[in-house]
Amino acid sequence: MKVLLTAAQLSRLPVVTVQGGEDVAEVRDVIYSPEAGSLLGLTLNKRGFFAGRRREVLPADAIHAIGRNAVMIPDESSLAEPGSAPDAVGQPPSGRNVIGNDVLTEGGVRLGTVRDLALVVGSRGEVVGYQIDKVGGGEGYIPLPAQLAVSGVALVVPNATEDFVRDDLVGLGAAVEEFRTQLGLA
Amino acid sequence: MTESFARAVGRRVLSRATAQELGLVARLLIDPGRTQVAALIIGKGKNARIVDWDQLSGFGPDAVMLNDEGALREPADERERRAAGGDLELVGKRALSGTGNGLGTIADVTFDPESGRLESLLIGNRDVPPSSLLGIGSYAAVLDITE
Repeated sequence: MKVLLTAAQLSRLPVVTVQGGEDVAEVRDVIYSPEAGSLLGLTLNKRGFFAGRRREVLPADAIHAIGRNAVMIPDESSLAEPGSAPDAVGQPPSGRNVIGNDVLTEGGVRLGTVRDLALVVGSRGEVVGYQIDKVGGGEGYIPLPAQLAVSGVALVVPNATEDFVRDDLVGLGAAVEEFRTQLGLA
Repeated sequence: MTESFARAVGRRVLSRATAQELGLVARLLIDPGRTQVAALIIGKGKNARIVDWDQLSGFGPDAVMLNDEGALREPADERERRAAGGDLELVGKRALSGTGNGLGTIADVTFDPESGRLESLLIGNRDVPPSSLLGIGSYAAVLDITE
């Protein structure tokens, strides 16, 4: 079954070892590539309220699976020191955050501002859309093509996106494939 | 005939040789291969003692009989110490699928009182084969099943 989560829902999920059944960390934030729309990894907190940050990061390829209730890793050695992780994960570039960016269509229509990422989770995470604060008020969800122009100020989406703004994550799940098919990407 | 962890806990443990009552079953410990009850844990906290399954003369409906009192021993390794402390307790443990979805809690575990062989894990209203256990820890039991 396809599970969609926003990055906000992903944060605070426990990181649990499959072999050990131990909760070794919890998700702090999502590291992703806005251009490629892919999840690169996760930053981590120690378990428990106010327990603070863990130095290690979790590269996406070390994730066993992401579910509704936990991020599963084979064992604690899946966590990587920032120095030994790929640069994009160990030292994620700043200034490319799309949260708060304006969403504009190629035709110049502003759809809203980005509030959060929407990810399809499972054996690996993929960023498939954004949760936005719509221009007219209220929240909506837009699907993403696989590739996208982003500047750190605005992101430009195909004109067709306007027809695929959905009210909830479930609607977005159905819209993503339809949208990508229409763009000839799927 | 089937026994269960929930029913076995609290059962009296006696020595066959001396007819002395040695304590009550506090927990059951399964083997690392997850096919078998490996040992019983008698008593709690600092008083917890271990008796290996092959030291039992009978796992009866009213009492568990040991060959003799000398079969009781201290926890021998880290795994046994954690088990005695309740870290590896299956009953009441959160169950997670390997894909990170919650399955509920393990309500009970059934086994054959003759052989100690595990039969099934009861999770919600499902019977799950013990072979689907991938890992057991203080946070969760991880199971190779789809929800």
